Amino acid sequence: MEVELLEIRQFLEQRNPFVYLSDELLNELPADIEIRYLRRGSGFPPKDGFMYIVRSGAIEIYDDDDELCEKLGEGDVYSVSCQLVNLSQCARGEATEDTLLYMLTCARLKALCRASPAFSEHFSSSVKERLKAAINTIQESDDPSVATMMIEVGSLIRKQPITVESGMTIRQTAALMSNKDVSSVMVMQNDELVGLVTDRDLRKRCVAIGLTGAEPIDQIMTLDPKTIEASTLTAQALMTMTRSRFHHLPVTQNGKLIGMITATDLANQQSANSAYLAADVRKAKTVADLVDVSKRLPNLHLRLAAASVTARHIGEAVSCLTDSITGRLLQMAEDELGPPPVAYVWMAGGSQARHEQSSHSDQDNALLLADEFDKAQHDTYFESLAKFVSDGLNACGFVYCPGNAMATNPEWRQPLKVWQGYFTRWIESPTPMSMMLSSIFFDLRPVTGKTELFTPLQKLILKKSQENRIFLAYMMANAMQHRPPLGFFRQFVLERGGEHDDTLDLKHRGIVPITDIARLLALSLGKEPVNTVERLRACAGSEVLSSDMAENLEDALEFIASLRIRHQADQIRKGKPADNYVPPRELSELEREHLKHAFRVIQTMQESMVKRFGADKLG
Amino acid sequence: MFARLLGKEYQRKQALAKVSPGPLHDYLDTPFIDKKSDCREIEIVAIDLETTGLDPKKDDILSIGLVHIDGFSVKLSTAWHRIVRVDKAIPGESAVIHQITDDQSAAGSPIEELLPEVLQRLAGRVMLAHYSPIEQNFISAACRKLYGAPFVVPVIDTLEIGQRVFERRNHTIQPGDLRLFNLRPRYNLPQYRAHNALSDALATAELFLAMADNLYPGRPCPLGEFLSKR
Repeated sequence: MEVELLEIRQFLEQRNPFVYLSDELLNELPADIEIRYLRRGSGFPPKDGFMYIVRSGAIEIYDDDDELCEKLGEGDVYSVSCQLVNLSQCARGEATEDTLLYMLTCARLKALCRASPAFSEHFSSSVKERLKAAINTIQESDDPSVATMMIEVGSLIRKQPITVESGMTIRQTAALMSNKDVSSVMVMQNDELVGLVTDRDLRKRCVAIGLTGAEPIDQIMTLDPKTIEASTLTAQALMTMTRSRFHHLPVTQNGKLIGMITATDLANQQSANSAYLAADVRKAKTVADLVDVSKRLPNLHLRLAAASVTARHIGEAVSCLTDSITGRLLQMAEDELGPPPVAYVWMAGGSQARHEQSSHSDQDNALLLADEFDKAQHDTYFESLAKFVSDGLNACGFVYCPGNAMATNPEWRQPLKVWQGYFTRWIESPTPMSMMLSSIFFDLRPVTGKTELFTPLQKLILKKSQENRIFLAYMMANAMQHRPPLGFFRQFVLERGGEHDDTLDLKHRGIVPITDIARLLALSLGKEPVNTVERLRACAGSEVLSSDMAENLEDALEFIASLRIRHQADQIRKGKPADNYVPPRELSELEREHLKHAFRVIQTMQESMVKRFGADKLG
Repeated sequence: MFARLLGKEYQRKQALAKVSPGPLHDYLDTPFIDKKSDCREIEIVAIDLETTGLDPKKDDILSIGLVHIDGFSVKLSTAWHRIVRVDKAIPGESAVIHQITDDQSAAGSPIEELLPEVLQRLAGRVMLAHYSPIEQNFISAACRKLYGAPFVVPVIDTLEIGQRVFERRNHTIQPGDLRLFNLRPRYNLPQYRAHNALSDALATAELFLAMADNLYPGRPCPLGEFLSKR
């Protein structure tokens, strides 16, 4: 390489996938590059047989139906014409800005892929798979401070180790396994572990190949199985299992076998944490008891995060607990106030309704009352009920909703017919106010009470919103208030000013846009789910949302949410209040790249939806 | 005087008649590219020289950078950069710009070893430079000195094209507007930090692609329209 081409090397070396190349390969790279210029409006790619790297400018890629697939900006790579994977439908595009391209022949690209597996991996995967890989990287992070929060596998062992002696027959072993109701046994010889047999071995290595069962177990066991120390942390054990693909690991303590841990044990342990809390919620006698239980919520959040539980499942676990706490508070209120004069449903709105709560979410709730409700006669009861529950939730750390979207507000404590009137008005004549309420009340779920009351309300919402294109256009325009923080040159745009200077607001610029997209899609298609991922899945494959896009959005959400959870777990651990503002320096180079991908997925979807729902035509 | 009116091909034949066998003879013996050719299809050599000053009679070439354009794309495999050994001390004021020190220069090759390669690369191709009189005059001075005949070459000059674009749009030209690094952002081209003969040659090559594509969007761009009249 001419040293003067160093600048080209420097441009490439910090970008995906070139970061994976060795110095040697990077040094040779510039000499293989050709440079081409595309005026705005020119077709792309200019030639087949090349991979392209955008040096400056922007390219939009379309599929066969002229739908936007992807936007390429500075540093982005396009390799579809090299056909490394199956032929993509997103093969043609256009330069939307004057663009300078670096080109590398497909032959050279393939040679690089052969030389570097990590580099090659980048091309075997779509945006979707890249995001997945990134999620895994985060979840496998062995940040020691996270690890200290975790449980040692030794503490999960409940049973004595189940063993058989080497030389026993397969049939005897199988009998023992079903007798002890275990899915695996360890094979011993002179008190030494020599092998491991699982259900799977019995199927694949015995029955499937026609052994009689009279053969010695040694014939089908896994020799010298991998073991772990009792002091290993559960996350570490999970990682070992994932990497080695063994779902059973014998556990040793000071070299002595003390039991076996399975993938199921580890999974159960995580849900056991929240199940444990839920049991304590049920047992709570007073609000003070509930407050005590709730104090363990941030810790649960932390533990789940440390144990690599997905952001989605953490949201579910926390929301379920909030539901239990709400239910318990309502029982306590009824115990104090007497039975309700008319039937009611306690509804949760916002993140609790979507099952996406974090431990410090605000409370959003409302009361739906039977139509027999008479304000003069019955409202005193429901006012007290609402106050009891809302105060209780506040004491438990679910602070009052700053927008007063709570059942204590008389406006949100109404009979079915009034609620139906509200929604009819909001949908048929949308206003800025109704748009503001949409993120709370268009995500609505009955928590407890006479839930049948909720069905007609839900039917009305879904029917009306589906029919009202103007409402949907307003929703979309409103959703565009939260855009991913990508600048003109597809760099991050950081928050400015105040205490959050130079940070990325992952909630409002990453999670909220996807939530908004999912809500709007579900409403436009009349789909019932309230959870964002479920909404995306319910709408996937429709005219508005391709299955690919749905998966990309789901992965983008999980990725951004897991970054946020890690950030919050970090703050909780340091004793700071958890927030959504992540300074880019907290992220690795690779995570920043992936985050840009995730943001780009959102941006692409928003842009296509603005057109689709005519939000661009609103005054 | 007449030679200029009669065109480069005439000048080439005249110079060829004067020159004795050697690198310049071989160069001049190769016909120039037809003016009617499409710039999108031909080979062009973008070149930049760093010099000790602006006067080819007194000053010296310090370094040469060049890169080929073929079929409207820049081939970095052809990138070539050489430091010239200059026997005089390098004036301090020029060293500030090109950052070539006496030591580096002393480690370079004498111009007589480098010029044949430059001529060989330019044979049958078009030369591209930003403000081409420097490259033309310095190479010509070296040719006269070494081979006793002038250097004749068909030239595209991105500064001239820039000037024409400004004039065509009736824009007044501010000082500095036509400098290479001020023209590039107009075509959304990235800024290069380095300032040396090769990166400037590359920057010029990219600028030309951008200019030509914008002047003749999606259609053939006749070489004759871009050739410098100098």
